[in-house]
Amino acid sequence: MNKTWIKLVPVTDVPSEDVIAVEANGHEIALYGIEGQVFASDNICTHGHARLCDGFLDGHEIECPLHQGKFDIRSGKALCEPLTEDLRTYPVKVEEGYVFIEV
Amino acid sequence: MGLETATYTDQEIYRRELERFFYSGHWCYVGLEAEVPKPGDFKRTAIGERSVIMTRAQDGEIHVVENVCAHRGMRFCRDEFGNKKDLICPYHQWNYDLKGNLIGVPFRRGIKQDGKVNGGMPADFKPEEHGLNKLKVAIRNGVVFASFDHEVEPLEEFLGPTILQYFDRLFDGRKLKILGYNKQRIPGNWKLMQENIKDPYHPGLLHTWFVTFGLWRADNKSELKMDEHFRHAAMISTRGGGGKADVTAGVTSFKEQMRLNDDRFLDVVVEPWWNGPTAVMMTLFPSVIIQQQVNSVSTRHIQPNGHDSFDFVWTHFGFEDDTPEMTQRRLRQANLFGPAGFVSADDGEVIEFSQEGFEQKPFHQTIAELGGRDCGHTDHMVTETLIRGMYNYWRQVMEK
Repeated sequence: MNKTWIKLVPVTDVPSEDVIAVEANGHEIALYGIEGQVFASDNICTHGHARLCDGFLDGHEIECPLHQGKFDIRSGKALCEPLTEDLRTYPVKVEEGYVFIEV
Repeated sequence: MGLETATYTDQEIYRRELERFFYSGHWCYVGLEAEVPKPGDFKRTAIGERSVIMTRAQDGEIHVVENVCAHRGMRFCRDEFGNKKDLICPYHQWNYDLKGNLIGVPFRRGIKQDGKVNGGMPADFKPEEHGLNKLKVAIRNGVVFASFDHEVEPLEEFLGPTILQYFDRLFDGRKLKILGYNKQRIPGNWKLMQENIKDPYHPGLLHTWFVTFGLWRADNKSELKMDEHFRHAAMISTRGGGGKADVTAGVTSFKEQMRLNDDRFLDVVVEPWWNGPTAVMMTLFPSVIIQQQVNSVSTRHIQPNGHDSFDFVWTHFGFEDDTPEMTQRRLRQANLFGPAGFVSADDGEVIEFSQEGFEQKPFHQTIAELGGRDCGHTDHMVTETLIRGMYNYWRQVMEK
């Protein structure tokens, strides 16, 4: 499968120690700013179909607002119940002040 | 022994029965392990009037939880059977694992808006204190019982050695196979069903089918046994040769000339585990009847829903090592039972008509004095000893 880098938003739009949602090819992506680094994952929880951008970021863990399922946003790994499925994450690069993800 | 008709018609007595028999001090039947074979499988059922869910968690263990959300008290599970990773109340999506632990509360930490967080549960809210009500569970050879009362005695003691012996005769550890269900709502007091299977006086008289085709006769070799409290019982009988005998000669319904169009229905094959008896009917007080009638085996679950009505759920089963022919045979013989069964349809009707008589004459007393006025083990069928035994126990617990 061909992978391409998609240009998203200016890196200054990504909040520090928080999360926002952006759109890429009609698909919602959550961008997290953690200690000056940007991480990206799907924005919809794998359990209850809630938006992770409405959730709570604690270090590298995002907690879903609906049922408190937690993912490590570096690997997408589901960390606790009720989650049974990992979250998809994306490689990120920042070039010329913009965030890119590889899909 | 005279029995007050009000026992079947009084609301106050009925509420007390639910509390003292179904919700405390007793084990109640919930189902068979074979009904929830895989992790995530669940079955919705009832104990008394309370809806409960039997689940098999991811670790393979069976749990029974009350079907009432800890949040706003909704009876949330509506499916009768299914397979789920977790339990979710649709009202506010409170989310529980299959053991009943509260896992997720939507917007527990509030909602972010314009840089601040609005609402949410108080910081000291502890999910571990708000799980579903978890029942105590006991499983014996594939049969699942539960109790709201965590102080209840062990299941084996509850059943007692005499009844346990007949329980283990049928449920001897072989894996069970579910064959199907019958369900009916019988408009009568729930105790009438227990009485019906503690009453060996009626089968040869009410069930003309039995007599005609030789499956039950008053002169069958038989035994009646109870636990030490007289609450549970076993009616054990061994079928006679069939045909006309002196005892039934006077019964007008006995029609020797009647024949079945399809007699595969009576193709009874003796099974080694019977060890003799062709029928053993166990009444486990208050919630279930366990049946062996020749090759037909089933549980019959009593789920009261008012002083004058109960749901009656029959689970017909066999064993995993049955041959296809044996499965077919068990299914054919199951036509005797259930709401339209050749035999059991009669019981549903007389229970309804009994209730009608009680409602009409609530100050009346019925009589259960056949075979004497005491209670004890008996080696014949012409007695109401088991009914007297049950009411002896009932009066002690009810303080009536």
